[in-house]
Amino acid sequence: MDDTQRRVDAIRKDRSELENHIIDEYSAGKITRREFVRRGTVVGMSIPLVSFLAAACGGGGSGETTGGGTSTSPTATSAVQSGGNIRVALIQPSTEPNPLIVKDEGGAGLLGSTGEFLSFSNAKLELEPRLAESWSPNADGTEWTFKIRQGVTFHSGATLTANDVKTTFESLVDPKNASNALSALGGVLSPGNTEAPDDATVVFHLDAANGNFPTLVSSANYNAIIIPADLDPADWGKTFDGTGPFRMESFTPKVGAKFVRYDGYWGEKANPDGFELKFYDEEGPMIVAFQGDEVDFVEHFSVSGGQALLSDPNAQVIAVKASTHRQIHMRTDKDPFTDKRVRQAVALSLDRNAMVDGLWDGKADLGNDSPFAPAYPSTDTSVPQRQQNIDQAKQLLSDAGMADGFTVELQTWNGFEIPDLAQLVKQYASEIGVTVNVKIVGDDTAYYGDAVFGKSIWLDSVMGITDYGHRPVPNVFLSSVYTSKGTWNAAHFKNSQADDLIAQYIAALDLDSQRAAAKQIEELLLDETPVSIPYFYNFLSAAKPTLKNAVSAATGQFDLSKAGYTS
Amino acid sequence: MGRFLLTRLGLAAITLFLLSVFVFLGANLLPGNVARRKLGNLADQSAVDQLNHQLGTDKPILVQYWNWITGLLHGDLGTSLSYQLPVSQLIGPALTNSVKLAAFAFVMVVPLAIVGGVVAALKRDRLTDRIITVGGLSLAVVPEFVTGIMLILVFGLWLGLFPVSANAPDGSDILTQLKYLFLPALTLVIVLFGYISRITRAGTIEALDADYTRTAMLKGLPRRTVVRRHVLRNSLLPTIAVIATQTGYLIGGLVVIETLFNYPGMGRLIFTAANDKDFPLLAASVLIVGIVFLVATLLADIAYSLLNPRIRYAAAE
Repeated sequence: MDDTQRRVDAIRKDRSELENHIIDEYSAGKITRREFVRRGTVVGMSIPLVSFLAAACGGGGSGETTGGGTSTSPTATSAVQSGGNIRVALIQPSTEPNPLIVKDEGGAGLLGSTGEFLSFSNAKLELEPRLAESWSPNADGTEWTFKIRQGVTFHSGATLTANDVKTTFESLVDPKNASNALSALGGVLSPGNTEAPDDATVVFHLDAANGNFPTLVSSANYNAIIIPADLDPADWGKTFDGTGPFRMESFTPKVGAKFVRYDGYWGEKANPDGFELKFYDEEGPMIVAFQGDEVDFVEHFSVSGGQALLSDPNAQVIAVKASTHRQIHMRTDKDPFTDKRVRQAVALSLDRNAMVDGLWDGKADLGNDSPFAPAYPSTDTSVPQRQQNIDQAKQLLSDAGMADGFTVELQTWNGFEIPDLAQLVKQYASEIGVTVNVKIVGDDTAYYGDAVFGKSIWLDSVMGITDYGHRPVPNVFLSSVYTSKGTWNAAHFKNSQADDLIAQYIAALDLDSQRAAAKQIEELLLDETPVSIPYFYNFLSAAKPTLKNAVSAATGQFDLSKAGYTS
Repeated sequence: MGRFLLTRLGLAAITLFLLSVFVFLGANLLPGNVARRKLGNLADQSAVDQLNHQLGTDKPILVQYWNWITGLLHGDLGTSLSYQLPVSQLIGPALTNSVKLAAFAFVMVVPLAIVGGVVAALKRDRLTDRIITVGGLSLAVVPEFVTGIMLILVFGLWLGLFPVSANAPDGSDILTQLKYLFLPALTLVIVLFGYISRITRAGTIEALDADYTRTAMLKGLPRRTVVRRHVLRNSLLPTIAVIATQTGYLIGGLVVIETLFNYPGMGRLIFTAANDKDFPLLAASVLIVGIVFLVATLLADIAYSLLNPRIRYAAAE
């Protein structure tokens, strides 16, 4: 037995059953190196430890798939000059910077500028420890214990304790606060179930077993920055009091904000002297400002609005694989979609490759009519990809007694590429004799309505297109859209098998179990097709070629602490 | 003159009151729900109801109006629903920015358009006239976002002479600020030149054809003197009215230009307030723009009456 093996054995003795299971999976070649790193970090192993084990235990291939096209690797690091001020273009936040109510990328960017999370969900969907040094579940995944980093100070000077973490999460899950974080934590963590037994430990008692809980309290849930226990979240915008490597110097609503290096930071001090956020209402002026050398980093741009950057040699495009997608729902309880063959026929009429090329310039992954994006490690990619098949679609319609086709209204709203997608659906459906009348109802407010059944075009329409943002794990998509009691179940899909499988998936603690449940869910949804998902598109950022180490995550978070200029 | 002013001020007060009613009702008639807008499309309905209750937006509209107008009369413009800041803190900087841009644009366009209009009138039906009138009109009909984008491309990106954003860095001196404001101001000059110069031209031609001008010429006065003393004084009357009516547009209507040049002025503020259903901010912003417009109109009336005594005598009767 060599030294390395002895060290591995010693490490494994101290690890939990779940952690050892993941190490076994990797050693047996069942998961790739990347998946091993990701899963290892999710269950609480530190990145250095995971890296050591990855090297020592061999296992699967690298599995590196992030980035693409003209992009650079989202996590590549380069040597840079120290200091400098980075100018960042950010979409205008739509609310005041209150951690409870921020609900968009602009606001998320502000929160993450000074605030820190228990962990940071990076572009590879790995969790990097931040204010939590480690975390681990109990045997059945209903309880998660987080060890809180010691010696951390807020910018105001107060010392971080477990009580700050507890208070932060209690306030996020309190229904009275109507926190935006409830979209991830609702039904997972109830008020009163977060405990701080000592200054360095926080225990979350969950409503049900949840293998992805650490992700739900990471930066992936952008409202979950840890703030001082005695600070009213509504007042956070006055001071931006956080623990991050930068502190707020000035903030002007609707204009921008400036941040400078925080010298009391617990970790490696930030490389830049600071950075400046400039708010933009629209994407166009943001792109022009980048080309006019007025900003160095565009936090997010779209393919349709940022074509100029995709071909600009002075733009370094950072592409991060994401789970952002559009859902074309078909009401399973209303004609003409009560017969699943009709739903399958519509899904089979779609030319997904053409959509990815035409709408996204290739910067998207094909969707397979389930929310399991290729970016998720738990996605079972052996499930056959649904492709356009007009003959099969016509046959299905004929079998369903609709050989002459039918007419249906598709309702959606005027935003992003959605109207173009609606027209493509109409065009493809016409090839199988289906007439889709597209009705664009106005803006998102009109489409979503009160977001409850009976008062929402989104949830009441027979057919519609809905936009879904990135989630680092598919839990919310699954529980809200595909379960019988799902509050976003626009297809009115009620299937007890799906309910059971989704519950199994959410409770699964190891990747094997998750993937086994995922495979069954994917196959079931492909068969039932309550919803068609034609693509998952990449999250795009742009940096000046001389700006290196700017990190983007698909949630709208960015990390400039190691960024700098090469010249 | 005093009675004239009092009459105008009285009318302005009535207009403002009606404006406040229309603005408030209009803002509240916008489709959508304040709390829903704030919490997002996917927020739970109970949370939405609770926030509406907290914000007071679930009260009857007359109660809301009464609370708003009484606050306004006490100098309280209210609190922005989106930003949870006093509305005055948001309107103050935006109004300052808008005034800066409007003033810069006026300083460039007014003399230019008046000179252009007068020259066109003096050279009526000749090549110079054609160039000024047809050229001005052609530029005026080009949508302002097209003009703005062209200027950004040429002077901002290709030649690199001017910044593509209008908001100068904090602490910039006046020259730097003017440099940043140059392209949006030039866009406005191009948009307004054709209109103002055409009005000036028409007024000048009318004055040139008037009996008093012919009499002055027949008296043997030099042409320059006739133009300065008799023609300009009368020909500028409609021009002043037109300039005054443009004030409201320049202060509160530049949504496209302010967005294009990422300039935080009143136009963008009003637009985003309407979009976010931020009633207090929207209503106060529109009211402020209304006041600016009324003041400009009042000043125009005064200038009008000074240039043409018949108007103030008629108003005083």
